[in-house]
Amino acid sequence: MLGPIAQNLVFGIMVGGLYGLAAVGLSLVFGVTKFLNVAHGELLMLGGYAGFWIFTLWGVDPFLSLPLVVVCLVLIGLVLYKLLFARMVKLTEENKIKNTLLVGFGLSLVFQNMALRLWSADDRGITTAYSGQALTLFGVRFPVVRLASLAIAVVTLLLLDLFLHRTYTGKAIRATVQDWEAATLMGIDIHRVYLLSFVVGAAVAGIAGALVSVGYSIEPAMGLEWTLIALIVMVLGGLGSIVGTFVGGLVLGVTQSLTSYWIGGTYREIVALLIFLVVLVFRPQGLFGSKEG
Amino acid sequence: MTGKRIITLVLIIAVLALLAALPAVVSRDSIINMAVLVLLYVALASSWNILGGYTGQTNLGHAAFFGLGGLTTRLLWLSAGWSLFPSLLAGAGAATTLALIIGTPAFKLKGVYFAIGTLALGQVLNVTVGDMFPMITSLPVQQLVSYQLLPRYYLFVGLAVLTVGTAYVLVNSRLGLGMMAVREEEEAAESLGVSAFRHKLLALVVSAFLAGLTGGAFAFYHVGYYPQFLFSPVWTFDALMMAYIGGTGTIIGPIIGALFFVVAKELLALRLVEIHLTVFGTLFILVVLFLPGGFVQAWASIRRALVRQLGARGVRLASRRQAS
Amino acid sequence: MLTVEEIDAGYKDLQALWGISLAVNEGEIVALVGPNGAGKTTTLRVISGLLKPSAGCVLLRGRSLAKEPAHRIVELGISQVPEGGRIFTGLTVLENLELGAFGSNARKVKDQSLQWVFGIFSRLEERQRQRAGTLSGGERQMLAIGRALMSKPGLLLLDEPSFGLAPLLVEQIFQMITEINRQGVTILLVEQNVRAALELTQRAYVIENGRIVGQGSGEALLSFESVRSAYLGSS
Ligand SMILES: Nc1ncnc2c1ncn2[C@@H]1O[C@H](COP(=O)(O)OP(=O)(O)OP(=O)(O)O)[C@@H](O)[C@H]1O
Ligand SMILES: [Mg+2]
Repeated sequence: MLGPIAQNLVFGIMVGGLYGLAAVGLSLVFGVTKFLNVAHGELLMLGGYAGFWIFTLWGVDPFLSLPLVVVCLVLIGLVLYKLLFARMVKLTEENKIKNTLLVGFGLSLVFQNMALRLWSADDRGITTAYSGQALTLFGVRFPVVRLASLAIAVVTLLLLDLFLHRTYTGKAIRATVQDWEAATLMGIDIHRVYLLSFVVGAAVAGIAGALVSVGYSIEPAMGLEWTLIALIVMVLGGLGSIVGTFVGGLVLGVTQSLTSYWIGGTYREIVALLIFLVVLVFRPQGLFGSKEG
Repeated sequence: MTGKRIITLVLIIAVLALLAALPAVVSRDSIINMAVLVLLYVALASSWNILGGYTGQTNLGHAAFFGLGGLTTRLLWLSAGWSLFPSLLAGAGAATTLALIIGTPAFKLKGVYFAIGTLALGQVLNVTVGDMFPMITSLPVQQLVSYQLLPRYYLFVGLAVLTVGTAYVLVNSRLGLGMMAVREEEEAAESLGVSAFRHKLLALVVSAFLAGLTGGAFAFYHVGYYPQFLFSPVWTFDALMMAYIGGTGTIIGPIIGALFFVVAKELLALRLVEIHLTVFGTLFILVVLFLPGGFVQAWASIRRALVRQLGARGVRLASRRQAS
Repeated sequence: MLTVEEIDAGYKDLQALWGISLAVNEGEIVALVGPNGAGKTTTLRVISGLLKPSAGCVLLRGRSLAKEPAHRIVELGISQVPEGGRIFTGLTVLENLELGAFGSNARKVKDQSLQWVFGIFSRLEERQRQRAGTLSGGERQMLAIGRALMSKPGLLLLDEPSFGLAPLLVEQIFQMITEINRQGVTILLVEQNVRAALELTQRAYVIENGRIVGQGSGEALLSFESVRSAYLGSS
């Protein structure tokens, strides 16, 4: 009885780490720029395919190829920002959120459709020589791939946290989140801060996607689900705190896997969405709007 | 003004006559099916537009109403043996009921939160239905044998006319004025005594009723599909994109958008393998960024530029004539 | 040092400033006074580049700032303390101050600037590790001013630094402003507290409905009839 529960907890934590990673990019971008990029899930998808193809074509180990995936997503992020999102910087906050949401929808459609044409609708996943291996502790299995993914998620989030708190640029980003006008008065070029946050957000999404392609599987239509997950975790974790977002991810992951264990697999998504709706309705705006601290 | 009215009236009658006569002119089923698709999208996009365009509430869960209408209608009509029209009404009623239930909590959410909330709600229904009704629903053999396209086509004609007509009457009434006031400046509208909540709820209910009816018509039209298909977010996104590309907050916008969507899809599908969604997504992004009023706005500015040019040329001609 | 020439500016369809001209010389304290909604904050926003004027120009030491974005204007030596201070409440006091020295030149001498600011506002040194959101009203205002000083500005724009503070604190803040000026920082001060402001400054401009309606030495304005009746009448 306790065994399966422990096992599900472990799986929940492992997938929850990826949820946190997926959400942190969205949350960073939204916090700084007020861009609600609903194509965030598609950035994950692109990161996943980048990892997948680097592995399939050149046989590069998916964990070693992460820097390459990051480079790909940084480029994509740059192009998207310069081409589309930079045009919405000057809008009022409400219009900015709304228009970026709409543009994000257009983008997700485009990316999804292109991925479908280029790479077919098949589920893909990276299978390495060590994919089947697992550590067993007290009868609970820890698949090495997922364990490594969790570790990378944690390290990425820690690095991001250090960057935001220890570097001048990171402090400028946090200042911009709080009050972009006051930040401008400090001599901070907020357009550069926006660009940087957007690109970092894309890169983190790419890492998350690549990790999904190793431990789980990817397909062209995965974007919407991941965008929703990122939104849910963002709302759960509150804006502006990386640790909060990560914990939000773990909570969601564990909730989902316990739900699948007790009620059934298909309800994992519904439970997440219902939690989300309840939180949204009972703390409208409060969760997104809460400033740092 | 009255001259313009008359032209509009003549145009409307011409379109209606064309729709009525279409099956007599073309006998190919594929054309009729395409027309059905256009009419379906006209109804769906116009119904979305009542809440999304005129009232300014970006509803990303429209598929839930469409789907619930379709699911209810199909169940009653096929499984419970109801006749068609009561089934259609029940479907629309189910969608309306859903709208009434979610209205109060949903409109606690403002702006983008409403958008995300409805998106999540739509997904809840999507997943739930997928789980509860995993089997494909097909017309039974005796229905298949007697399947006729024409009644279905005319049902969609009626549906599109009803939807566009309802939208027209609604937005030209005091209530419509209130809806637009809420869209432009919610607080200001409230301070003028316009209840934002009531107007939003009204728009949602009408929008849901029409979407439910459209879903029901689809359930009557389509031979076989997975029930979950009707709840796919694609229905929402398509409706939203058509409304935007044509021009939100206008009556003609969603109609143009739907026509353009279906025709372009057919043309693109012939030449380019299934990349029409990429093309549409791109077009949609361009519209959001550069042409927030869609085709309707583009046409208005082109016409203004033309009039100005023609006017200028007229003046020049006149002055030249005087000079010579 | 600063010349504002015939500025028109506004928000959307509302014009807030009509042909505003004023000048601030090196080393001066100049006050800009006027009733609520007169356009004082808007004038400062134009000078610091947050709002671009629809006509007219702002010159700093003869150089036009028309094409400079707001974040560059800070590096050119104009620093603004916005209305209400607008400190970064989620960051620590020290982080707020560090951000004040964000520009590359200011960053090089950050540590000296920090000592300078702590010299003026010793309270901030004691509280440097604290989150800025936990400061008292007076301390927040000090932090806002200190943060602006971290960029080593030649010209400091102060928007109602005394707003919402107890009279004793107001006096303290004004003393500190005098001290900052004595150390070579030119100051343009916007105030509601007209009497105190006019006592402090060499010159002042009076703004009403987006137009400059009077100017002169602080003392002269104190005896200026319309100023007396409008702002000092009750006191
Ligand atoms: N962001 C804004 N959008 C629209 N109008 C504004 C905005 N900020 C100020 N205004 C308007 O511009 C005019 C001048 O405002 P401003 O803030 O410059 O006045 P002020 O002199 O600083 O007043 P106060 O003493 O109350 O701070 C006012 O009519 C105000 O309503
Ligand atoms: Mg002011």
